[in-house]
Amino acid sequence: MNNTILELKNISYEYKNNLILNKLNLKINSGEKIALLGKSGSGKTTLISVLNGTIKPTQGEVKLFNKSFDKLDRKQKSKITTIWQDLRLIEDLSAEQNVNCGLIAENNFYFAFKNLLNISSFSKAHKYMQLCRLHKSIYDKKISKLSGGQKQRVAIARSLIQGSNILLADEPFNNLDPNLITIIKNLLLENVDKNNKKISPKAALVALHRLDLLNDFDKVIGIRDGKIFFNIKRNNLKKLHLDKIY
Amino acid sequence: MNKLKLNYTSLSFLPILVCIPLGYQLIKNIHFGGFKLFQEFLISAFNPKIDNEIIITVINRLNETILIGFFSWLVSIIFGAIFGIISSNIFYKIFNIPHFFYRIIRFFLTIIRSIHEVVWGIVLMQIYGINFSIGIIAICIPYIAINSKVFAEQLETIDYKNFESINQINAPKFSSLLTIVWNPIINTFKNFGLYRLECSIRSTVILGLFGIGGIGTSIFLSFQTLNFRELWTYLWSLAILIILSGLIFKKIKFNTTNKILSIFFITVFFITILFSFLYFLYFIFNNNNFENFNSFSSLFKSSSDLGLFDFLKLILETIILSLLSTGIAISLPPLIIGIFNNNTSKIFVKIFAFLLRLIPTPVILLILLTFNNPSLSLAALTLGLHNAGITSKLLFTNLDSQDRRNYIAIKSLGISKKTSWLLGLFSQQAKSYLAYCAYRSDIIIRETAIVGVIGSVGLGWQLQESLSSFAWQEVSIVLIAYSSIAIVGELINGKIKNSLT
Repeated sequence: MNNTILELKNISYEYKNNLILNKLNLKINSGEKIALLGKSGSGKTTLISVLNGTIKPTQGEVKLFNKSFDKLDRKQKSKITTIWQDLRLIEDLSAEQNVNCGLIAENNFYFAFKNLLNISSFSKAHKYMQLCRLHKSIYDKKISKLSGGQKQRVAIARSLIQGSNILLADEPFNNLDPNLITIIKNLLLENVDKNNKKISPKAALVALHRLDLLNDFDKVIGIRDGKIFFNIKRNNLKKLHLDKIY
Repeated sequence: MNKLKLNYTSLSFLPILVCIPLGYQLIKNIHFGGFKLFQEFLISAFNPKIDNEIIITVINRLNETILIGFFSWLVSIIFGAIFGIISSNIFYKIFNIPHFFYRIIRFFLTIIRSIHEVVWGIVLMQIYGINFSIGIIAICIPYIAINSKVFAEQLETIDYKNFESINQINAPKFSSLLTIVWNPIINTFKNFGLYRLECSIRSTVILGLFGIGGIGTSIFLSFQTLNFRELWTYLWSLAILIILSGLIFKKIKFNTTNKILSIFFITVFFITILFSFLYFLYFIFNNNNFENFNSFSSLFKSSSDLGLFDFLKLILETIILSLLSTGIAISLPPLIIGIFNNNTSKIFVKIFAFLLRLIPTPVILLILLTFNNPSLSLAALTLGLHNAGITSKLLFTNLDSQDRRNYIAIKSLGISKKTSWLLGLFSQQAKSYLAYCAYRSDIIIRETAIVGVIGSVGLGWQLQESLSSFAWQEVSIVLIAYSSIAIVGELINGKIKNSLT
């Protein structure tokens, strides 16, 4: 049975005459946890932007649930969630309002309006903020008042609350202390919260720099100069592979 | 010999050279016929008329002014925000609308903005006659376009990455749009909204001089009857209103976290939109005051006696008027502040600048006409002085809040107080001051119409003439020319501002 959720077919992306992505082919299957490795500037962020539809490739096709990305409706596109490296939170909104922004896709305009007026329900947002170990005292604080680690967890909570099928994350463990990394990693990859209830997306592609975090992934993809150098099971990863991309 | 190299400080003073041709013409045109009147005008400032009757009139006229000012502000700020969103890049990106429409709406708003509210006022009065709502409409038309520009500029500063992040959630388009623009809109309103209310009140006063009503009309009538004591009662009451509103505005803090207040604002927002829309329909379908404006076809059919040469002369006059006024508005404040650089003189300079801001330009011009013949130079001096009052306010505020360490260091070298002020204080402000003056220059170009109407100069005067004789074709030609000058001026000033910021 074909359980491919997201697929890249012969994708290239050119920006100002520079080839950032070069004929990439990639499949993300249901339940897969993929680590994306590569040097800074190797094309990891661009690849994530192509996968979530933010950037249109110059060549090739992106397919979600076997349908071309361009032909999908809004609801189908919202099945992908992204944690950006630079977080991209709305500085002027509070932490809970930012997390609630993750719910605007499944709600109507009135919900977005209430959220901005600060009169919507924040119970679901609080639940996810709690899971991300955010303290109650910061729920109504503006993003600009939070520390780097707190902002990081708000971005993660906003992403998780979307309830999407695919998680794309660009360096999601930045700014977190070792204890929190374990907790957040479990949230993002193990699919379960402390009550064993499924909460995280069905598949995940996570761009990483830290090799000690690879243990929880099924597959590892190495990218260099916009080209995939290897796409292998984590157990097969050798130093030789890493030498190719670093 | 070394090459002459201009810096921002010298560039701030250089435009004062416009005073040479200007002063020559003013001296040539001087007459002493109205000198006594001018003297009487000055003395009356210290002896305004105060009795029960005039106090009641003042209260009524101020009420009218505040009402017209407030309603035009409310409508223009709300629709300004809406048009600001529609004329911002973000709107077109979210809804995937071709960029072509973005350019069209921007161009349309630029044209609307380029024509001063007084021009809108006198054109509308000629078509519909004088009534209360004409004042509101005349202010609202350009103000909506001006406010929309400010809102749009703020929305253009939204970090594109934030936009991508919200857009990637793939929420309904209107939800995404609202989430992205909400805070920039609210912040712009907080920072800019009350200033626009003050502008609205000032515009109401100026339109009042042309018969719309309110304190402006009383000021004009008392000037026409040479009742200077009464005139000063109105001017001082206007001064009190402006000072009081300034103090109140400083105290007002918009608390957007207060839920009840937020709901109140939203209710006002929707009621204003609904009411404006209904009134617009009522105005269009129930107004039959078209005796003087039979149909749009008259714009093209009526003959024009305006020769090409005369018309080009008027355009040139308007451009020269703008340049001369801008020169005065730029250079006069630093020159005066620099020369009278002690604490006592500073107070007098501040009072004088306040009076120049307070007294509407048509009244300043009428006062100057008591001892000088109407000329381009006199109109330029009027406009320049009024705007120098405004630029000096900004300069004073910036200089007062500036770090004085450089000034002290330079003074400690034994350099004179005036030179230390120039090198240690003003030189650090010169760049931002020039950038503000470039923005002010846009307004000066638009204001040439006001002094033109009263001072028989440029396109403003021609507009008044054409309107009086119902020569609608001429009116439209003058408006197109006037708008073109303002748009070209705005483009040039935009380039200057960009190079300074």
